[in-house]
Amino acid sequence: MIKVRCLKKMFGTNHILKDVNITINPQEVVVVIGPSGAGKSTFLRCINHLESITDGHIYIEDADITDKRTDINKIREKVGMVFQDFNLFPHMTVIENIMLAPIKVKKINAVQAKDKAMTLLKRVGLETKADVYPDSLSGGQKQRIAIARALAMEPDVMLFDEPTSALDPEMVGEVLDVMKRLAKDGMTMVVVTHEMGFAREVGDRLIFMDGGSILEENTPEELFDRPRQERTKAFLSKIL
Amino acid sequence: MDFRFDIIAEYGSFFFKGTLLTVALSFAGVFFGTIIGLFIGLGKMVKTKWISFIFVCYINILRGTPLLVQLLIIHFGLVPFIFHESNGILATIVALSLNASAYIAETIRAGIQSIHKGQMEASRSLGMTHVQAMRYVILPQAIKRILPPLGNEFVSLIKDSSLASTIAAPELMYWAQAMNAQYYRVWESYLTSAAVYLLLTLTLSHVLGRLERRMDAK
Repeated sequence: MIKVRCLKKMFGTNHILKDVNITINPQEVVVVIGPSGAGKSTFLRCINHLESITDGHIYIEDADITDKRTDINKIREKVGMVFQDFNLFPHMTVIENIMLAPIKVKKINAVQAKDKAMTLLKRVGLETKADVYPDSLSGGQKQRIAIARALAMEPDVMLFDEPTSALDPEMVGEVLDVMKRLAKDGMTMVVVTHEMGFAREVGDRLIFMDGGSILEENTPEELFDRPRQERTKAFLSKIL
Repeated sequence: MDFRFDIIAEYGSFFFKGTLLTVALSFAGVFFGTIIGLFIGLGKMVKTKWISFIFVCYINILRGTPLLVQLLIIHFGLVPFIFHESNGILATIVALSLNASAYIAETIRAGIQSIHKGQMEASRSLGMTHVQAMRYVILPQAIKRILPPLGNEFVSLIKDSSLASTIAAPELMYWAQAMNAQYYRVWESYLTSAAVYLLLTLTLSHVLGRLERRMDAK
């Protein structure tokens, strides 16, 4: 469903991504790990074209997003994204945050959008927060709302860019729980994270990135227990 | 020194009419200046270099030349050229609007750019177009930050509009000068106009301050 071919990304003369190739299948949960500066977030942001792509191709359900004729807004409707710092819209209530894109982009009516939003709020366990502003929520609650907001567009894939890195430790669990349930429901997910427990438990496939390339990919068990590359071993020994 | 309140009273209705015109001119300046300024500000943010350069020139020219010069060019040049007759009020509104738009453009640009870029990214990641993201997400947040400096611009325009007296637009300062010309009374005419300007600007600042606090509370 997502095919990345020879992806290269440069900031000025700086090679952020060098020749990344990967195929992500429907319903697969791919977890991306690696040291900071490895290009993990950039890789994720290239998938929905928040970063321009220097060279290579990314196909999402056979549409080449690097092709100028592809309507990137249509692609983005199918690719949900969750950010490290939530990026909720502070001038709108929680439910308005969730309803905005379905109403403005998908043009569904407000009643339907509200029903859908309430269902999603129940799913992330925050139906009582519908009418409050994001300011009054904890970090964990904000991130669950952000997930609900992305799900409201009924995406085929969800991208998570270090979704728990900005959270206090006691709130990490509630966000990971939502993500685990999402994975169980069959959502295709690409997750950049430092939560190795989550990677092992939920990931179908683990990818280790360093220096702008994918150095190793395998099932979580294999990669954690029998890493093949020296750099993978060095990284894992530092964090496990 | 005697201070002749009787001639102030005699000019009272003129001062009143002049004050109304001063307020109207300033308001028109802020109103049209904001509309034009929004486009200029957005234009300056366009990524294509030569397009944004046009807007940079516009801003630099209008901010880098005196308002009085702009007023005279518009009154004696532009307005007669287009309408074949001069009109002081029209010329003042055009000059104030254009001049204010250059300052407001920078205010709006700064306001928009102060919004965290994650807001735009989140909007785009949900499938919104750049225009939709601006309209529903960025601008509503930027307006809160734009309004206070916009209010200050209004206050400046009230004072700047006094330049219109040089082209005989019958606003507050025009009547003060007329009174001085008739009676040769400097203190009565100019102190009265100064007091009215002060009253207008202080009142406006006060109202804006309260508005700002109410928005903060929200």
